[in-house]
Amino acid sequence: MNDSTPSLFDVEEMELSFGPQHPATHGVLRVMLKLDGEKILDAKPIIGYLHRGTEKLFETMPFPQCLPHTDRMDYVAAATNNQGFVVTMEKLLGITIPPRAAYIRMLLAELQRLASHLVWLATHAIDIGAMTPFFYTFRERDAILDLFEEYCGARLTLNCMRIGGVPHELPDGWTDRCAAFANDFPRHIEEYEDLLTNNRIWKRRTVDVGVISAEDAIEWGLTGPPLRGSGVKWDIRKVFPYDRYDEIDFEIPIGSNGDTYDRYLVRIEEMRQSVRIIQQCLIRLPGGPIMAKAPKVLRAGQGMVYASVEAPKGELGYFIVATDKGTNPYRCHVRPPSFINVQALPELVRGRLVADLVAVIGTLDIVLGEIDR
Amino acid sequence: MSLADFFARLIPTDLFTGLGVTGGYLFRKKETIQYPEQRMRPKDRFRGMFGYDENRCIVCHLCAKACPIDIIHIADHDERDPETNKKKKVMDRYDIDVKRCMFCGLCSEACPTTPKSIWLSTLTYETATYERNTELYFTKDRLMSWEGVQAFPGVPSPAQGQSPDDPLGRKPTQPSSATGEGAASGQGAG
Amino acid sequence: MPEALLQFLVIPLVKIVVILGVVLLVVAYATFAERKILGYMQVRLGPNRVGPKGWLQPVADGMKLLVKEDLVPDGAERLVFMLAPCLIMAPALLVFSVIPFAPPTDLFGLLPEPIAPYVADINIAILFILGISSVGVYGVILGGWSSNNKFSLMGGLRSAAQLISYEVPMGFAVVAVLLMARSLSLVDIVEAQRGFGFLTWFIFPGILAFGIYFICGVAETNRNPFDLPEAESELVAGFHTEYSGMKFALFFMAEYTNMTVVSSLAVIMFFGGWLSPIPGDDVVPGFLWFSAKVALFLFAYIWFRATFPRYRFDQLMQVGWKWLLPLSLANVLVIGLGILVFRNLLKG
Repeated sequence: MNDSTPSLFDVEEMELSFGPQHPATHGVLRVMLKLDGEKILDAKPIIGYLHRGTEKLFETMPFPQCLPHTDRMDYVAAATNNQGFVVTMEKLLGITIPPRAAYIRMLLAELQRLASHLVWLATHAIDIGAMTPFFYTFRERDAILDLFEEYCGARLTLNCMRIGGVPHELPDGWTDRCAAFANDFPRHIEEYEDLLTNNRIWKRRTVDVGVISAEDAIEWGLTGPPLRGSGVKWDIRKVFPYDRYDEIDFEIPIGSNGDTYDRYLVRIEEMRQSVRIIQQCLIRLPGGPIMAKAPKVLRAGQGMVYASVEAPKGELGYFIVATDKGTNPYRCHVRPPSFINVQALPELVRGRLVADLVAVIGTLDIVLGEIDR
Repeated sequence: MSLADFFARLIPTDLFTGLGVTGGYLFRKKETIQYPEQRMRPKDRFRGMFGYDENRCIVCHLCAKACPIDIIHIADHDERDPETNKKKKVMDRYDIDVKRCMFCGLCSEACPTTPKSIWLSTLTYETATYERNTELYFTKDRLMSWEGVQAFPGVPSPAQGQSPDDPLGRKPTQPSSATGEGAASGQGAG
Repeated sequence: MPEALLQFLVIPLVKIVVILGVVLLVVAYATFAERKILGYMQVRLGPNRVGPKGWLQPVADGMKLLVKEDLVPDGAERLVFMLAPCLIMAPALLVFSVIPFAPPTDLFGLLPEPIAPYVADINIAILFILGISSVGVYGVILGGWSSNNKFSLMGGLRSAAQLISYEVPMGFAVVAVLLMARSLSLVDIVEAQRGFGFLTWFIFPGILAFGIYFICGVAETNRNPFDLPEAESELVAGFHTEYSGMKFALFFMAEYTNMTVVSSLAVIMFFGGWLSPIPGDDVVPGFLWFSAKVALFLFAYIWFRATFPRYRFDQLMQVGWKWLLPLSLANVLVIGLGILVFRNLLKG
């Protein structure tokens, strides 16, 4: 047979641009898909649509002024972004923060972890078709945002931490309201689980979808629930504790199969552990000052440091280089967890259907704000 | 597949549980608030629109230096008071480019006066305009008079004597030696 | 007026106008009910601004869709593009000509002699309905293809495959009913369930058939959990992405009309149609019972949409072919055997 005659079984590739404007890509992510009918042959994520030059902006302003800009990277979880920056700066400057400030920071970070996981659950469920968990989770998230508003004045772009501690004292009655919320929250997690965990349609959409083996996860540098869902017990709060996490008793949930369903269960369990941390912090909250002594005009001296925190999406790291007389960072590079996690996308969807692409993007829990910065 | 498995697959009890959850919500209280007839009151520390009081301001430029985006433009000059022969700073221009503000509150934190001369605890968030370049650039007089700003119901403009610690004027006016923003006791529940 | 003209022209025309009017009103307010009920299940109020408590919302939606710009995409096949919405709406409405809403009534003495509130009672009604509603698949395919858009084409083909696959188990579920009723006419099916209130309805022996029928009905109308062809998060809007204005409104209404058809048929075949569940009740008119039951089914549609995630396309096909089809065949066998045994017992 002539070579140029097309055979009946030749694969006809269709190229489809999934995004950047698309309801399911969690931001302006563009995925160039090569499709054979509905099967994905290759997927290439194209990022950069939300690049705002944050890292360059950091070089133009003194250290304390960088904090509001960190809020806007992972805009869903601003408190942990702040925490990453201040933890790194404190490591660079050699400052130890007072215990009360550490506990308040942990409270804010764990509340933020709950809020971020609630958004994840809402968007993941709605991508797979279940539209009601969105409304239930956002109702709880509103309660958390109310707590944030009472504390620092903003709901989303918090700016709630400073180098050396926290800026404000807790308002009157905040601890009671926080405790009431934390005690009430587990029954809402039960509600979400009733809707999804044992639902056969949910399981069919998520079990064995986007399987990552433990070796692959470590090789690709995945962190956060994608790593823990594959069975690797690695959480920055346990291995490199910061902010007095070593004084709190909590567990790291891990999965076994490394599929989407396991990552879902890991995040649900992380929400429960966050509630546990919040309750312990509220009980053990010490008195004392909330801000360490730090000079008004911060000069860090010559040095460079890398430190990371466990953001809800993974390991959020900051690499800061400071010069001798400089008030600004000479270079501040951010290691966003979503940026590293999204690089696994092509491997996870190769050979699967377009509907699985949506599920995998949801389970990696990416936010374009921190991928593009 | 065993007989028990077969019946478990046939009769979708998991689906019925889900239906039960959503069905139950049919009869519960709804969370909708009918805006704009009803408004939620922001919490006390809510970072809203600027309030500025020229009389308290000591022209120290700390707010302009603290701003991450450099949107506070201050110009001043020195004048010598003929009677006391003391040098005095006179403010020429205090402009805030509100359209680029991110309401981070660093300017308010840096202000050293008590009560603060620039504050964000105004509970006002409805600043939308149809034209961005002229209407969202606030000069000194507009920052005080709040012309064009839709204040939160019950909040007076700074020119009418809005207090940074108590924008709704719930407590009787106290002498200006009242404590500033740091003490939590004056704030009360949100 | 000659008797023949009255009987064969005027009365059917009046019936058609009334039935079309009622059905379209039901369809319009089904959209409103969906938004309100979905809202209530999602801890929020639905639309409540237009008219008192939002009850004029469908009117506002209709007016909006009428005055929208009618875009035909560049490169689209014009004639087919305009034809597709009609091809999907017309069969859906046509089915209502044989659905009996109530027994022959003389409207509480207004009319000299009782008339039947349905246009025709043909003795092959089920066959007619199954055949006509299959024509709707053409509208889906042609709509997707004529849009000159990769997404629409994919959506249209998927939807067509889904519709065709789920017609088979649906047909077999209906066969179970036919075995019990011994007639293809819908009025006969309802009458066969007359007896002792709800105990003689076909739902009891035919519970499996009902389950299969309703699941297939949900799949036939492209509703959640089988709504992948119009899933927003995956293909924007499937085969009706490129449609705007009144053509889109026709697609939208066709979906709700199909929902009403499936609900009406489920009520007639399994829940006694216009029969009252209370034995010996003759007071409440049959039409009210019928409407209440159909409303409950429409509510079930909306309830499913609020609760379930959606199946992926290949899983959807698996459910239809590997699970529902064998079950429906087995069900026919079981019902047939049951009838044989039951009737022999009665005789002997």
